[in-house]
Amino acid sequence: MNSLFTMLAQSKPTFWLPKPVSNFAGPVDGDFYFVYWVSMFFLVLITALLVYFMWKFRTPPGAHAQSQTDHHLMLEVVWTVIPLILSLMMFWYGYRGYVAMQTAPSDGISIIAEAQKWAWNFSYASNGAVIPGMSDDFNDVREKVRSGEFTADEAAAAEDKILEKAGLHVPMGVPIDITVMAADVLHAFYIPAFRVKKDCVPGRTGKVWFIANEAGIYDLYCAEYCGQGHSKMHTKVVVHETVEEYEKWLEIAGSYDETLPFDQNGAIVWKRRGCISCHSVDGSKKVGPSWKDMFGSMRKFTAIGRPGELVADEAYIEDSIRYPMNRIADGYPPQMPVVKLTEKEILWVIEYIKSLGQNSGGAQNPRKEN
Amino acid sequence: MSQPPMDAQSDPQGLAPPVSAPVEATGPSYLTVTKTISSWAFTLDHKRIGVMYLIGVLLMFLLGGLIAMLIRTELFSPLALITPLFADTVEAQADMYNKWFTTHGAIMVFLVIIPGVPAALGNFVLPLLLGAKDVAFPKLNLGSFYLWVTGAVFFLYVLLTGGLDTGWTFYTPYSAESGTAVIPALMGVFILGFSSIFTGLNFIVTIHKMRPPGMTWFKMPLFLWATYATAVMQVLATPVIGITVLLLILERTLGIGIFDPRNGGDPVLFQHFFWFYSHPAVYIMIVPPMGIVSELIAVHSHKRIFGYTYIAFSSVAIAIFSFLVWGHHMFTSGQSTTMNIIFSGITFSVGLPSAIKIFNWIATMYKGAISLNTAMLYGISFIFLFTIGGLTGLFLAVLTIDTHLHDTYFVVAHFHYVMMGSGLIAFIGGLHHWWPKMTGKMFSEYWGRIACGLVFVGFNLTFIPQFVMGSLGMPRRYYTYADKFEGYHQLSTMGSYVMAVGFFLIAYYLIQSLVSGKKAPPNPWGGNSLEWHTTSPPPLLNFDEVPVATDPYDYENLEYDPATGNYETTKVG
Repeated sequence: MNSLFTMLAQSKPTFWLPKPVSNFAGPVDGDFYFVYWVSMFFLVLITALLVYFMWKFRTPPGAHAQSQTDHHLMLEVVWTVIPLILSLMMFWYGYRGYVAMQTAPSDGISIIAEAQKWAWNFSYASNGAVIPGMSDDFNDVREKVRSGEFTADEAAAAEDKILEKAGLHVPMGVPIDITVMAADVLHAFYIPAFRVKKDCVPGRTGKVWFIANEAGIYDLYCAEYCGQGHSKMHTKVVVHETVEEYEKWLEIAGSYDETLPFDQNGAIVWKRRGCISCHSVDGSKKVGPSWKDMFGSMRKFTAIGRPGELVADEAYIEDSIRYPMNRIADGYPPQMPVVKLTEKEILWVIEYIKSLGQNSGGAQNPRKEN
Repeated sequence: MSQPPMDAQSDPQGLAPPVSAPVEATGPSYLTVTKTISSWAFTLDHKRIGVMYLIGVLLMFLLGGLIAMLIRTELFSPLALITPLFADTVEAQADMYNKWFTTHGAIMVFLVIIPGVPAALGNFVLPLLLGAKDVAFPKLNLGSFYLWVTGAVFFLYVLLTGGLDTGWTFYTPYSAESGTAVIPALMGVFILGFSSIFTGLNFIVTIHKMRPPGMTWFKMPLFLWATYATAVMQVLATPVIGITVLLLILERTLGIGIFDPRNGGDPVLFQHFFWFYSHPAVYIMIVPPMGIVSELIAVHSHKRIFGYTYIAFSSVAIAIFSFLVWGHHMFTSGQSTTMNIIFSGITFSVGLPSAIKIFNWIATMYKGAISLNTAMLYGISFIFLFTIGGLTGLFLAVLTIDTHLHDTYFVVAHFHYVMMGSGLIAFIGGLHHWWPKMTGKMFSEYWGRIACGLVFVGFNLTFIPQFVMGSLGMPRRYYTYADKFEGYHQLSTMGSYVMAVGFFLIAYYLIQSLVSGKKAPPNPWGGNSLEWHTTSPPPLLNFDEVPVATDPYDYENLEYDPATGNYETTKVG
C-alpha cells in the first residue's frame, strides 16, 4: 500500500510538500501520504461522530440519557487493534526508509558541510577546496527584492552570480556523501527538497547522503536554533546536470585569483570563511571586535583567567585565528570557533585588516602577557 | 431510558443518606470564613491555595500570551516589524525576537501548563472529589505554592534583566555560552521542579490514604486516575531536570565539561537528560486535562463514562510509556540508528492509549443527554483538537517523515495542538466546569459559548497554516523567513488575534460573574461526584457532614429543578 502512495507521490510541489528532488523524496512522501490519509480518515470519522452526536443527542437541562451502557468489549478490542495494526505499518515503513537513508553507498562524492555561527562552509574532498555558503550575500539579495530594488529576474541573476563561487554544488544522479560538522554550537543541515536533515554537533560528525535527481537551485537551511543569526543562516544547493559540469565549476570556484592584491583576497576570505558573521569592517559592534582600526591597537583580554594586554600585530592576529580561545577580548563573549584557514588565507586576512586602518600605537609588542 | 424516572416517592422510607440531604449553606464558605490578607497568604486550605495558584497561573498565562502576540505580530512580515520598537540594531532586533520565543515557551511550559491543571484546578477539586477535608500534607501544599511563586519571581527577574535567548529547551553548547540570564532561569526551573514534585507527592499520598469509605480504586472519578498517574510522573521525572539544570549551571560557572564539547563534554547528552524529563513532562501537561475531559463529557452528557477501566488504565499506560520514548525528540541529533528505531517503535505505543480515550469519550456521548454548556463545548473542542494533535504526532513518529519535519513549523503546530489546543483548552473547560463551585457564581453561558467559538476558530486558524508551511520546509525559531511563507504567517497571525479576543472575552465575563453573576446552586451541571454534594462555594472543611462515596458516573437519580437551576439527588441507589 505504501508503494502505491510512493507511486502516487507527485514529482512537483503539492499543497503539503515541496518539490521532491532526491532519491529519498519519493519514499518519504509516500510515507507522508500514507499517514496523511489514515489520519484524514480518522479525523473525518471522529469529527463526523462528534458533530452528529452533539446535534442528535442535544437536550435541554434536566433530560435523562437514553441509555446508560458503559462498556462494550468488542468495541474496545476493535478500536485498539485497528490503530495498533496501522501504527505497526507506519513504524515499518519509517524503519525501512530510514535504514536506507542511513546506509550510504561507498562510491559517493565526499563533501564536508561545516556549520558555524552563522555561515556554512563546504569542503570538497576531491580537490580540498573550501566553498562558503555566503548567507549574507543571499540575505542582501532577499532584502533588495523586498525593498523593491531588485525584480525577480535581477534577483535570480544576482544569485547566479553569487553561486559561481558559493553554495553547495552537487552533480545529478550520483550519490553524494555529506559529513556534517559544527564549529561552535548546534546547527542542522536541512534541504527540504531532498527531505534530508542532520544536526551538526560540535565535537561529532554526522552523515547525510542522497542522490539529487533534478538539476536546479534549492534552499538549504539551518534547522537547529543557534542564536542571533539562525534565521539568516541559509544558502543554496545547486544540482548540476552532469558530473563534468560540476567538476568544471569546482575547479574554478575552489581557487583564489592569486593575481589580486593580498588585501583584496583577504576581503574574499572574510566573506567566504564566515568571519563576516561576527567581525564588522566598519567599526560597528557585532559578536566579535570590529576589524576597523584594529591593527596596531592595544588589545585588552583575559588569558587563562588572567588579564593581559598586547598590541594587535601580525603574530597576535595569527594566534587569535588559530587559537581563538587562548585570549578572550574584554567585552566580548568567548565564542569564536576555530576556522581552519590556510597559511595564505591568514596572510591575506592580516593584510586586509591592515588595510582597514592602522593604529600607530605600538609597533613593538611589550610581551608582558599574564 | 433504561430505568424509570425517579421521583420523591421512590424513596418511601426516607432513608436518604447525608449526601442527598438538601445542600444548604449552614455556615460561611471558604471564601468568606476569614477575610484578612494573611488568612489567605498563610492558609492551609487546599481551596484557597488552589485559587491562589489559579490567579498566579492565569497572570502568567496573560504574560506568556502577550509575548505570543508580539511573536505573531512580528512574523506578520518577514521584515522587521515591531522589534525596531524595542531595539536599535539589526542584531539586537534578532536577539529580541529570540528572547520572545524563549520566554513565551519557558513561561507557558514551566509556569502555566505544568502547574495549571494539577496545582490550580487539581488542588481545588482533588480533596472534594475524595470527600476529604484537605490534601494529606496541607503545609507542604502551601510550600509548593510559594516555591511556584519563587520560581515565577526568578522568571520575572530574567524578563526584567534582559531576557533569555536559549529556547526553552536550553540546548547546549549554546546555553553554556549565551550572554543572557541563563542561570537565573535555570534556578527558576529548578525551584519550580520542587514545587511540582511536592504537589505530586501530596496527591499520591492523598489518593492512597484519604479515599472515603466505599471508594475503591475503580470507583474513583477518572480525574483522580489522571491526577494520580501525573503525580507519579512528576515525582519520578522531575528530579532528572533538577540535576540537569544544576549540571548546566556548573557547566556555565565552572566549565566542568559535561555538556560543552570544548571541554570534552557531549551536547547530545544534555538532550538525553533534558528529554528524559521533558517528555514525561509533556504527559504531565496532557494527562490531567484528559482527566478533566473524562469528567466534562460524562457530566454534561448525563451518561455513564464509557469504558471506565480502559480510560483509567490508558492514563497509567501513558505514564509508564512516557518514560521510554524521550529519544524521539532526537531522531536527527546523531544518536545511533538502532536507538532511533527502538524509540520510534515505542513511540507508537503511546498513541494507542490516547486513541482508546478518544473513542471512549465519543462513545460516552452516544445516546447521552447532551447539554451544550460552555464547559461541554470545551470538552468537545478538546476531542477535535487533541485528535489533530495526536494524529500529527504519527507523522513525527515515523522516522523518514520526521527527518523532513523535525525542527520545522509542523512540529510547532503539533505541540501547540497538544499543549494548548488540548491541555489549555481542557484547563479552560475545567475552569468553567468548576467555576460555580469555586466562586459560588454562575457566568454568562451566552458569552461563554461565543468566546469558546472564537478561541476554537482562532486556534485552528493560527496553527493549521503552520502545519502546511512546516511540511513545506519552514524551519522553526526563525526571526525572518523566505517570502514564500509570508501568506501562511499572515493567516496564522490573524488567527492568533481572533484567539486573543476570545481569551479577553473569557476574562471579561468571568470577572463580571464575580461581581454580578447569579448565585450558583450546589449542582448546576448534574454531576454526581462528591464535589457536587456540597454547597457552592464549599465551607471551609468542604462538607458539613462526612460524605459517603457515590458512584460518580451514576446520573439517573438526579432531577433538575428549573426554579433553582440545581440538580437534586432524589435517591441514592
